Amino acid sequence: MLKNPPVLQAVAFLLLAVFVIPAAALAAGEEPLTIAVLPRALGNPIFLDAFEATQKKAHELGVRLEWVAPFDFSSEAQVEMIENLIRRGVDGILASVNDDEEIHRVFRKALDQGIAVATFDGDSPGSGRLFHIGIDNFRAGFAIGEALVDVLSSRGLAQQELDTMIMTGLREAFHHEERIRGFLAATEGRVNLRIRDIVENEDTVEKSIILLEDYVKHNPDIEVIYFVGGWPFYVPSEALPNFQRWAQAGGIAVGIDLFYDALLLQKEGLIQYLIGQDMTSMGALGLELLVKYIRTGEAPPEFVEVGLEHADESNLDRLLEIHKPWLVK
Amino acid sequence: MILSFLVTALLPFGLMTVFSYQTYFGGLLHRVSEYSQEVVGRMARELDEYFLDIEALLTKEQDFYLDQLIKLVENNDFNNRKYVFRIWEDLNNLQRVKPDVEELSIIFPNGRRLSSYGLYTLDYEVFLADYYRAAGEDGVALLGPGVNFLNRLVVTMVKPYPAPTTEGEIYLTADINIARLASITDVKLGETGYIFIADNSGRIIYHPQAEHIGTVSPFFQNSVTQGFVDGFNGAEGQRYFLTTARSPITGWTVVSVAHADEFGAELRPIQRLTYLVIALILAGVVLLAAYLSHALSRPIKELQDLTQRAANNELSVHIEPYGNDEIAQLGHSFNKMIRRIQDLMAENVKEQELLRKLELESLDNQIKPHFIYNTLDLIIGHLESNKTEEATYLVEALGNFFRLSLSKGRETVPIASEVEHVRNYLFIQQLRHGGEYRYEIIIEDEAILNKFIPRLLLQPLVENAIYHGILRANREGTITVRGRQEGEKIIFEVADDGMGIEPDKLRDINEVLRGIRPLNNEREYFGLRNVNKRAQLRFGPEYGVVLESTLGHGTKAILTIKALEGDGHV
Repeated sequence: MLKNPPVLQAVAFLLLAVFVIPAAALAAGEEPLTIAVLPRALGNPIFLDAFEATQKKAHELGVRLEWVAPFDFSSEAQVEMIENLIRRGVDGILASVNDDEEIHRVFRKALDQGIAVATFDGDSPGSGRLFHIGIDNFRAGFAIGEALVDVLSSRGLAQQELDTMIMTGLREAFHHEERIRGFLAATEGRVNLRIRDIVENEDTVEKSIILLEDYVKHNPDIEVIYFVGGWPFYVPSEALPNFQRWAQAGGIAVGIDLFYDALLLQKEGLIQYLIGQDMTSMGALGLELLVKYIRTGEAPPEFVEVGLEHADESNLDRLLEIHKPWLVK
Repeated sequence: MILSFLVTALLPFGLMTVFSYQTYFGGLLHRVSEYSQEVVGRMARELDEYFLDIEALLTKEQDFYLDQLIKLVENNDFNNRKYVFRIWEDLNNLQRVKPDVEELSIIFPNGRRLSSYGLYTLDYEVFLADYYRAAGEDGVALLGPGVNFLNRLVVTMVKPYPAPTTEGEIYLTADINIARLASITDVKLGETGYIFIADNSGRIIYHPQAEHIGTVSPFFQNSVTQGFVDGFNGAEGQRYFLTTARSPITGWTVVSVAHADEFGAELRPIQRLTYLVIALILAGVVLLAAYLSHALSRPIKELQDLTQRAANNELSVHIEPYGNDEIAQLGHSFNKMIRRIQDLMAENVKEQELLRKLELESLDNQIKPHFIYNTLDLIIGHLESNKTEEATYLVEALGNFFRLSLSKGRETVPIASEVEHVRNYLFIQQLRHGGEYRYEIIIEDEAILNKFIPRLLLQPLVENAIYHGILRANREGTITVRGRQEGEKIIFEVADDGMGIEPDKLRDINEVLRGIRPLNNEREYFGLRNVNKRAQLRFGPEYGVVLESTLGHGTKAILTIKALEGDGHV
């Protein structure tokens, strides 16, 4: 469910542009643009929507796409890759990164060499990138916080102190921190959450599953879990026996990232509320905006927001029909 | 002497040193060669094993996900997440097994490269040209070294993927970080030795100094051998020792390089030790030579001095020999010789004393008053009887007798003189004693008259024949003096036919003469002993006087001497 009309307008405008501009460029026999897109990790399936959409968009735009990343997230590896993209002379970089000094340095280096740099999903506001496309992570966190308040209120637990665990990727990731900050802002004063632990899974799926299973096994009394991202949702419930038992015992879980496997878990009652981000638009639209900037010099707004999608009991079946399985596990 | 000592000591040592050096150097070279061969051989095998493993990684037969992806790529269908994600997972898992593999990838005919880094485009034409240049019969090629997507130095193994549905070739590739080759060849060879890997055109695949990678090795010989040659090689003005081993799987050659100087360095401690030993030997030889020179020359010099003193008639000299070496034995011999000389001198003195005594006694006997008076009276009687001729003979005989008795003091006289002296003596005594005996002198070998004889050796024997043989028998008798030569010996027999000697006394006399029986007093058989002793002193113990006698029939004194040629010379 898209809730951001300005973004839709921008998409429509850009779709028109990209059908015209690439054709003109190729007709002139020019070397196609090379745009490198760096997801956070090849091994994180959340980016597969963006991967497919970006391939299609690149083909439409007549640009050469380089989709490169470490298999598991590593900011150092990303920096090294960006260094080499600069060396290879790519025309643009669209990356999901942490907001750290090394990223700032390498982005500035790329920009100094005339390479257009933008971010998607994970932003680095201090890096000087041209624009960021994604969700408003604070707002996303706030939205999931509000959803949790509703769930707890409906269960008569709004006033009860509830031990809470937050699973995040990396504390250094700006977008993850924003989501936590929004979540805490939404819940503060409205429900009584006691944040017992914030568990970092280093932005990896495998580790997130292990950590989750281990945590609920040793902390069965934890009452609420907030997943800042959907890392552990790529496996069926059979692969999460401890989490499954915990949920069946009344544990309440909410999270950001919405995809078919996560919806299945929600259907089975392991998760009470999901908010998804539009990764397809992040990839495709982000590429379009970047190519347009390179080709025309027309800069998009510094922040291009894509919509959020909510999944609760009311629309779960419909969403399961819309979203297709990723078939990666 | 020191120089000869040095040469004697150092020459064999020097030869041994040269031989040992050559032997050790040869052994060292052999050991280094063997060790290097073992090392590079092991590395070549390790290379083979490693790249066989990599080839195994790249060996896929009809991989479902890959085949499906190929179809999607061919149709520009980008709904490929299922296959791409699986392949990324596979590649990632393989990289975990082989951490030195920098990148695994699938290269599509459109130049797209799906790799463990993601998806990007390469220059397909360049890739194909490189591949066809390097591909073997099995289609496997080793490319590089070159930098990969992440600017890492890699060698790339390429293997075609059997994809029947595609129009172009699909290739599977593995980029191996050059650090893997470094780890395979990471063996320290001496201080400056190293190992590099080159392909069959001499191009360096791996070298510890990265700037050499990609260049043609200066050790590669294009001429006859077309490759690397084991053993000493020259390059860039220096000598190196090369050992090589070929890796059949890669077609590369592993080459170990050792600086020839290091062999010398290996031997440097031995050289230093040799120099030290030579120096010690030099010092030792010098000290030993000095010591031996002193130790040998001192007694020799002392011996020389003492010999000189002995030559100057200082026969009291005596050496105190030290030890039991040749010099000491020489000293002992010298002392023995001096003692012998002293003994001989004493014997000579004794002989001279005997001779003087004999002369004195002889003179004493001869100048006995009654001998002289009787002789003179006899001469007077002959004169009064007008026997002038006889008187003249007597005077002449007496004169000759005294003259020959003195013989001008000479020790030896011609036998003719001695015989003439005896003849005069017998003539005078015959006249003195009234012709109581006859005498005859028979020289059987006239040649002996020219030989020499110690003077006054025959006269005492004749005197004994007269007084103890003839006169005591109180009857007429005959005295016969015979002389002859038997070989080197001259034998005189003085025989009388007088009263003879009793057998016991005869035996006693002969035992005294042979030294068997000690003397009772000095006067005992003085005349005979005197003659016997002088003959033995002069000629030896086998010479001298022996008596033969038959009681009542006479006595024969046999004198044996050696023929003397000239004045005292045998």
